[in-house]
Amino acid sequence: MNTRVKFMVGLIGLGLILALIPLPGRWSIQAKPQNLLSQALDEKTYFTVDQVAMFVVSEDSSVQLIDLRPQEEFRKANIPGSINIPYNELLNNDPGRFFNNGNTKNVFYSNGDFESNYAFILARGMNFKNTFVMKGGLNHWLKTVMNSSFTGDRISARENALFETRTRAGKLFTEINSLPDSLKLKFMEAKHSAAKKLDGGCE
Amino acid sequence: MPEWLDLLIALLIGIGFGFALEQAGFSSSRKLAGMFYGYDTTVIKVFFTAAIVALVGSQFMSYFGLLNLNLVFVNEFYVTASIVGGVIMGAGFIMGGFCPGTGLSAMSIGKIDAMVFFSGGLTGAFLFAETYPWIQTLANGSYKGPVKINEALGISPGLFTFLLILAAAAMFWIAELAEKRFARPEITNEI
Repeated sequence: MNTRVKFMVGLIGLGLILALIPLPGRWSIQAKPQNLLSQALDEKTYFTVDQVAMFVVSEDSSVQLIDLRPQEEFRKANIPGSINIPYNELLNNDPGRFFNNGNTKNVFYSNGDFESNYAFILARGMNFKNTFVMKGGLNHWLKTVMNSSFTGDRISARENALFETRTRAGKLFTEINSLPDSLKLKFMEAKHSAAKKLDGGCE
Repeated sequence: MPEWLDLLIALLIGIGFGFALEQAGFSSSRKLAGMFYGYDTTVIKVFFTAAIVALVGSQFMSYFGLLNLNLVFVNEFYVTASIVGGVIMGAGFIMGGFCPGTGLSAMSIGKIDAMVFFSGGLTGAFLFAETYPWIQTLANGSYKGPVKINEALGISPGLFTFLLILAAAAMFWIAELAEKRFARPEITNEI
């Protein structure tokens, strides 16, 4: 058997192995650029910090906040209920692991809009429709929700509701981020059970 | 990774690629034209071997976690442009006796035909850019995105690789038969 035939037989053997072993999931950007652009420009793509504050206060289980900042920054401070998937990790892992979660809305945020918009394009390009962006990122959250204050003599019902949501979300943010890491999760669990007790009724 | 390192790696790979092309005799337009006449099928054998070795290597590297295939660029598929461009490229290949890479390789060792070929390529690129507004609809028509053949066929990448290797083996066998059938002893590698 000459060398070329041996080489081809070896390649066919390797090919057969590849055909039989389960390879990790693959994802590629399939959406058309113009569709991605129109989705990126669509207002429905974005949640305002006030909408996110409402999710946090109401502990909305249909929303998953995803913090794209590095782990060290996430540990220092994060929006309550969010999980940390650093941007680089998102790029280097199987995205199906993060986004194949049914009807849950995945809302990206980073310090500004840069990484979250990139992550959004990446995820929507791979046809993960359940991905969104918190507009303005954590910087805007700190500016709007954490520094919320009321001035003036009169307040409308709408303004009052908004102010109250911001205050409660801000308080939760401060409480959770002042805890050591090990207690943060327990705090959230305690909040869940405390809310149930207050609900009362037939439960 | 800093940009200069990317460029340095690209330069080293480019030099290696050019050296390999030249050493394999691909700077001879006779060898390349032989592909179309059947007397020398080295081109298809070399390029197809490179493709399947790269395919097998990248799949195994991905399996062992050494390469993230999600980050590998997949060329976008414009159906109309691919057909028209393929015809133009094929015609240029058979008339000029080079493809772009081998043309540069031959030019770098001073082949005059390669210099003329390369000038033709540059002229084509210039005309494409200048006439783009008129051919834009054609160039961007029937966009399919960066599709992969295995995804379009609905089979696993491993199975597709295996089928492609079988197809390559069959093609190599036919190519060897063609070389015997259309042998032209008067054409040598000496230029």
